[in-house]
Amino acid sequence: MKTLTKLTLIATTFLTLTVFAQEQGHLNVRTTVQKEVVTVNESGEAERNLVPADTVVPGDDVVYTITFTNISDETAENIVITNPISKNLTYVQGSAFGPGTVIEFSVDNGKSFAAPEKLLVATDGDTRPARAEDFTHVRWTLQNDLLAGAQGMARFKARLN
Amino acid sequence: MFFTEWNLTARLKATLRLQLVLASILIACSNTAWASGTAAGTVIDNMATVNFDLGGINNTQNSNTATMTVLERLDVVVTLQSPQVLVSSNETSRSLLFTVTNTGNGDGEFELFIDSTLSGDDFDPLPASPAIYYDTDASGDFTAGDVTYVPAGNDPQLAADESVDMLLVNDMPPALTDAWLGRSQLTATSTAGTGLPGEALIGAGDGGIDAVVGASGGTSAAFGEYLVADVGLSILKSVAVSDPFGGTEPTVGATLTYTVTVEVTNGGTATASVFSDPIPQFSTYVANSISLNGGNLTDGIDVDAGELDTSGQPTVVVRLGDLTLADGIQTIEFQVTID
Repeated sequence: MKTLTKLTLIATTFLTLTVFAQEQGHLNVRTTVQKEVVTVNESGEAERNLVPADTVVPGDDVVYTITFTNISDETAENIVITNPISKNLTYVQGSAFGPGTVIEFSVDNGKSFAAPEKLLVATDGDTRPARAEDFTHVRWTLQNDLLAGAQGMARFKARLN
Repeated sequence: MFFTEWNLTARLKATLRLQLVLASILIACSNTAWASGTAAGTVIDNMATVNFDLGGINNTQNSNTATMTVLERLDVVVTLQSPQVLVSSNETSRSLLFTVTNTGNGDGEFELFIDSTLSGDDFDPLPASPAIYYDTDASGDFTAGDVTYVPAGNDPQLAADESVDMLLVNDMPPALTDAWLGRSQLTATSTAGTGLPGEALIGAGDGGIDAVVGASGGTSAAFGEYLVADVGLSILKSVAVSDPFGGTEPTVGATLTYTVTVEVTNGGTATASVFSDPIPQFSTYVANSISLNGGNLTDGIDVDAGELDTSGQPTVVVRLGDLTLADGIQTIEFQVTID
């Protein structure tokens, strides 16, 4: 257990350094993972809150939030954000969100993308419409350019298998 | 016609009323696969990739890696496997079968408890000593090969999704009333800890990672039922007369052949049943004429099932053992001659 923690720390440090180096570039991309907890308030309404993903167990919902900032002094164009979905996670239908984006999914490990209702999966010589558990990647395509200094975000929710 | 008094003694009082055969109520056990989920300790990393054009040049930028570790969820389910078990007063070592399943996502160890003092039933079964066993030989009931459960000694250790069959063994008290129910409950509790669902138990998981109490609270219980079934017996006796002149008149010297059929008609057990019939007055027993299911029994007291007991009034005695519906009709015959 202690070893795992150490390895994770080292890996994170390494990646942080790498990202720092890349931050000298044009786009700063940050991703976070949080656990969604649903509580019922005094009025009997369900409230959703995002908390650190420190105590996740199978069945929990987690939310990934990607924030990208144009830190260059030029306009960034044709921005496409791609995010793989871990095999231990099942995408929650309809949860992908990104202002000003077209959202598509892949069921073939990122080779091709399409709107969810257009995706088909081959099983035993037959094809059927893809289900959330078939999605391997989610992709947001920005419809507009990102001006220098501007920021955008994308988000999706998945359930831990 | 010479009819004699006969009686059949059994552990339970014999009755001639026909009881409804008590249907076994199969407790429906759902065959849901207990998918416990992603293994405890699994690390899930996520990195987004952004592709874009800037100043006419195509670029790719990766995000940081967002990482999370799946904790161990503590969950257990105890499921009853036995239908209602039909019992009689004073019976010993009657068992109920349960399955204990680790429905968490990590390795689990569970302590087991029996409680036969539940309310909501008509009598308390009496736990045997010891009362909890592994169904080692997978027979579904308490047999010689089953290993005794020792609390904190051999607590079941189950991987995620794994289950084990356990038996609760109880004796029945005396003087039970027909159709009474007695309940006995098996509880399984995670030794890693219990608590409110969602509660975090620091360091209680596999390899020292944190654990989270699942929806079960880390404990589960289920009870089985013993149903008192008074044994129902059918006993019929007939006699055939054969006189010395080739006819059927009950004259002096005529031979009377008595045929008695004994049958259990319901789900009960006539334990240690013994048929006894005094030889009627004014008649003499025909030597060596006792038979059980067509097999001759000697007149003397020996290892076979019957004899003529001459300690008092001569009496035909046949031991039928523990009879159930499955044993079918037991046929006893013997002969006397009219003095």
